[in-house]
Amino acid sequence: MTKNKAVIEAIRIVAVVVIALMIGFVITAMVSKEPVQAYTALLTGPLPNLSFENGFAIKNINRFGNWMEESTTLILLGLAVAIVFKARQFSLGAEGQMLLGALATAVIALKLSIPFPWHMLLALAAAMTIGFLWGLLPGLLKAYLAVDEIVSTLMFNVIALQVFDLLLFNWLRDPTAGFVGTVPFPDSAVLPLAISGTRVSWMIFIMLAAVVIVWFLMERTPFGFELKMLGANRKFAEYGGINTKRVIALSMAVSGILAGLAGAHLSMGLLKRLTINLSPGLGFEGIVVALLARNDPRWVLIAGLFYGYLRTGAQIMERSSDVTREVVLIIQAIIILLITAEQLFPRFQEWWRARRNNEVAIERG
Amino acid sequence: MAALVEMKQISKVYPNGVVANRNVDFAVERGEIHALVGENGAGKSTLMKVLYGLEQPTHGEIWLKGARVEIPNPHRAIELGIGMVHQNFMLVPSFTIAENIVLGSEPRKGRFLDRAQAIAVTEMLSKNYGLQVDPTARIEATPVGMRQRVEILKTLYRGADLLILDEPTAVLTPQETDELFVAVRKLVDQGKTVIFITHKLVEVKEISDRVTVMRHGEVTGRVATADVTEADIARMMVGRAVFLQIDKPPVQRGRVVAEVRNLGYVAETGRPMLRNVNFDVYAGEILGVAGVEGNGQTELVEVMTGLRPATTGEIRIDGTPVQGQSARRIRLSGVAHIPEDRLTNGVALDASIAENLVVDRYNRPPFTRRGALSPRAIQTQAVALMQQFDIRAAGPTALMRSLSGGNMQKVIVAREFSAEPALLIAAQPTRGVDIGATEFVHTQLVAKRNEGKAVLLVSADLAEVMSLSDRIAVMYKGEIVGILENGPHLTEEEIGLYMLGLKRDEGARGEL
Repeated sequence: MTKNKAVIEAIRIVAVVVIALMIGFVITAMVSKEPVQAYTALLTGPLPNLSFENGFAIKNINRFGNWMEESTTLILLGLAVAIVFKARQFSLGAEGQMLLGALATAVIALKLSIPFPWHMLLALAAAMTIGFLWGLLPGLLKAYLAVDEIVSTLMFNVIALQVFDLLLFNWLRDPTAGFVGTVPFPDSAVLPLAISGTRVSWMIFIMLAAVVIVWFLMERTPFGFELKMLGANRKFAEYGGINTKRVIALSMAVSGILAGLAGAHLSMGLLKRLTINLSPGLGFEGIVVALLARNDPRWVLIAGLFYGYLRTGAQIMERSSDVTREVVLIIQAIIILLITAEQLFPRFQEWWRARRNNEVAIERG
Repeated sequence: MAALVEMKQISKVYPNGVVANRNVDFAVERGEIHALVGENGAGKSTLMKVLYGLEQPTHGEIWLKGARVEIPNPHRAIELGIGMVHQNFMLVPSFTIAENIVLGSEPRKGRFLDRAQAIAVTEMLSKNYGLQVDPTARIEATPVGMRQRVEILKTLYRGADLLILDEPTAVLTPQETDELFVAVRKLVDQGKTVIFITHKLVEVKEISDRVTVMRHGEVTGRVATADVTEADIARMMVGRAVFLQIDKPPVQRGRVVAEVRNLGYVAETGRPMLRNVNFDVYAGEILGVAGVEGNGQTELVEVMTGLRPATTGEIRIDGTPVQGQSARRIRLSGVAHIPEDRLTNGVALDASIAENLVVDRYNRPPFTRRGALSPRAIQTQAVALMQQFDIRAAGPTALMRSLSGGNMQKVIVAREFSAEPALLIAAQPTRGVDIGATEFVHTQLVAKRNEGKAVLLVSADLAEVMSLSDRIAVMYKGEIVGILENGPHLTEEEIGLYMLGLKRDEGARGEL
């Protein structure tokens, strides 16, 4: 029965992606003089070109790198959101936690001088700690004072952004630079490269480890069980003896650790400094990833790679064709909308189920 | 004279197998106030939902004024002159009373609502039927009693001749109840007919002309109110104790397991729900708690299991004080709990059977070892318990949602019994489950007693309490008004007197 469901789900997702891409192509065809090239850029852009002309070589490794960089951040954010959503806590605080995580790395990177790797590790730890605390606060408010977490986390995002700007403008900013940003981080506080020719850093390994750890946390620890029961039925969890207040607060705090890491990836991995307008709105993209993955950490990895591919492809499409960014965003949104629509194809599912039941009946009869 | 409404041989079976109505005949004469009574889950709401078109009967016919009718939806019911006032009001809080009353069939001036007309209509209805409302007040600013009057006016505005009031007094203060009764009588004087759903016997006597009593989905009595006493109605409601055949060796009373002393609980609303409750539960006995529902039984169980804090008093389990402790601590001191509201408290519908079976023990060996859950141990336990308790399901990973009510209850019973408690608290353990599962639960409860566990059985089904219990505590208005030794000498009439508050043992307060 569960196997059936998985098959239906897989068919559904493939069908939806195909339909969404077709709709996207129609839109592209309407606005572009060269829709095929434009669409090819979207669909194949992030892939590296393998060339065998003068011996084996990989071209456009930087595009593949962009895909991996983008996905690493998205997966970390997706994990953060999956944890709270699993517990049915609609915390939207990833954005603020990410900003403060990045801010913390800058403080450690610029204000301390310690040798590598301790400097880097300390910066990472600072990002994780501030993310934890910035999640714990609204978590405690929700658990003990019943403050709605949607409202409180959005407010916390505003506070985080203002603190970020305040410290950056008044304390961390490099006054000689032509833009609002810090000086580059010292090498001791930068994440080492993993693939040369790109900006893919050790964070990709940390991200992979995080997927495994979060999966383990959710599926193989008592805390994960508590999270799941809280999400399934809070009253039942309480009846069973689970301290739901503690779980609510902790779920939001643990989520913050991962969002903090995402922030560290931006500052210590990609930019190697702190700048103003550090990727606005990115924190919310984690919601898309978690929704696509139905809050399953293993699927967060896949959904993050998929969504990262789409976003990278879209950037390449924008750069290499006459299709504007807005159209690209529309196509992206359609794909996400179709995939996340729970009730899509219920008829198809019914038909499938009826067919299976008939088969079973025939086998038995 | 033909009845205004006649429901013939109505049966309603829900897809999950619950039989809510079984061959019910129900008739209402024009111009009467007809009380429909029964315990929660007796099927009275379902019967009325069928009449109002909210549910379709599995079998049976509805006749209105001598002609057979089909009522596929409430819209049709309203056309036929049937109106229903639900327990939970369905009003728009930010609209005024007049706007709420005309909502859906508004008087219009051009394209817009004719406000003056709406207010005029409301005032006229209000005056004609003696239902005082302020047409221009917003619903959110009005008290519950007035909201109810608005609901009634709403159905009258739509031309209802037959009004169904679903437990209308449940939310009212005594004064508001009196006002409601005056209004209901006035309605009838004006030629309306009223069906009054309730489980409060005092109200039945006070307001109704005739009464139909339901129990377990069937009609157990249909009488003129003047011909019967409250005790008669109570007997029809709980059933002439059809004693279940349960082999029970004589009680072997052991140590005191649970001691409850001077327990008091005041609800958030300020209403005292438990008052100076004292009792003991001994090892090897079943202490039954009888009472008309809503007399503090739910609160007693929730306080004893740590789901609500007691306001005053003490609870000791095997000598250890547990009042004010968390649900987990109380479970660890040896209390298991079959909850009254299965779907709200007892299960997580979207979790698997295996997960539902470990909710109280997931963090202990063998389910957690060195900080990590063992899916294998969880699975193994589920397989064993499913076999031992005859839980019919696709497998341990099947979602709880896919089970029938009886099998869900077996999952709960399996979990709570396998916790090996010193005290087992079973609240309405057989409500809404089929006969097979009921028998199973009864046998298991007696088996626990025979093993030397203490069992506290709370049930609205007097037959169940009398068949299983060694002693029976009766609750009335949050107090224990008597603790009676069960035996052949004890009759349901006797218990009924206590249940209705007509008799009480002053000693009961101090009885230890």
